[in-house]
Amino acid sequence: MPSSADHRRVAVDRILCSGHGVCAQTLPASIALDEWGYPIIVEDHVDADAGALAVKLCPARALFLR
Amino acid sequence: MTTIVDLIEAAGLTGRGGAAFSSAIKVKAAWENRARLIVNVCDGEIGAAKDAWVVANHLPELLEGVSLVTGGRRKAKTLFATHRGTTTARLLAEAGLPVLETPERYVSSEETSLISLAHGGDARPLAKRAPFVFGGRDSQGKRIRPTVVLNAETLWRISQINRYGVDWFRSFGTADEPGPRLVAIGGHVARRGVYESEAGTRLTSILAQAGGLPGDAEYVGVGGMGGILLTADEVRSATWDTPGMKRFGGAMGPGLINVWNPDDCPVEVASRMIAFGAGESAGQCGPCMFGLPALSADWARFSAEPNRETHWQLVSRLGQFGGRGACAHPDGVARFAQSALRALGPELAQHAENHCTKAGGRRYAQLG
Repeated sequence: MPSSADHRRVAVDRILCSGHGVCAQTLPASIALDEWGYPIIVEDHVDADAGALAVKLCPARALFLR
Repeated sequence: MTTIVDLIEAAGLTGRGGAAFSSAIKVKAAWENRARLIVNVCDGEIGAAKDAWVVANHLPELLEGVSLVTGGRRKAKTLFATHRGTTTARLLAEAGLPVLETPERYVSSEETSLISLAHGGDARPLAKRAPFVFGGRDSQGKRIRPTVVLNAETLWRISQINRYGVDWFRSFGTADEPGPRLVAIGGHVARRGVYESEAGTRLTSILAQAGGLPGDAEYVGVGGMGGILLTADEVRSATWDTPGMKRFGGAMGPGLINVWNPDDCPVEVASRMIAFGAGESAGQCGPCMFGLPALSADWARFSAEPNRETHWQLVSRLGQFGGRGACAHPDGVARFAQSALRALGPELAQHAENHCTKAGGRRYAQLG
């Protein structure tokens, strides 16, 4: 599924990510955490608004949309 | 007018460094963005040797390839990346070429590690939000100018396509994977070295150039640390192309085959490789810096005591490495561990009964 107006693909800058785990709270249906708290993207297509909010709330500024 | 990009596209050349991405797309983007070229001569994979071989034997053609790709721009400032202190570094310096000296670490020759190093940073991978041929920024926001990395064999092939033509190039390999390709053959063979090969041939015919697969050989690594392990029987039936390697979870990779010494305990060799891979993490990405040592520990636990619980632990760990690093290092080590688990099944069963047939079994016993 390509990115459209209301759907975007969520991704993680793995170097910036320090495992706060906030993304798993803001996008619970898309992101799980491993045993150290680093995200596992289960489904990368997310609602554009929910994705934008998750990006805004990522403390490491590691989450991004494409 | 036919350009070199048209020729590369018609020839169907793909990068010979391992990722097998279309060289035409890369070179076209490099032209459009006036990207700086970095020639990767690191042979970074364990047992790789072909790019050094290209420099030692075909330097004029390699430089012709460089000139074709940079369009002869005088200010192109192409860099040649190789590990410091090597013969290759000396040969390049003697030819008056600017050498990007790369530290002796596994991930330091990864494409974006070289881009980072060329920009005054560490030789550690960058997070790729978009290909750096367009330019961009590193994770800290530092500007990265448009840069393209091609490996030495790829540039040599470009000069050959220019000299001998598309039809000549396509007379090697298969329709999907055309062209000649180098392969480094090492380990338990009569004549180690770098040889020409082509997709679609049997793996045994490629090994024949090095004296053949010895009758006592049991296991063969294809692709190094980021590659796969095959049993000798699998090697006898395998075809050297992407579908043939994919059957075993592998790929053509950076072109290297290593016949394991049958005197060594293969379980121990695999353990060492996985532990080495874990130690080579650049320590930037959590899933790699924590995940790989955990994988290595799970492998050690399972190989010391193969039972349902340790097996389940190892298998669920292996399932956690899907594209979760800035570079493909964690994926590569997990791929190797996965294939070693498959290929070494009977060995591991023997070990479960505390029985190793190898002299190395004693050393193996100390691992647990």
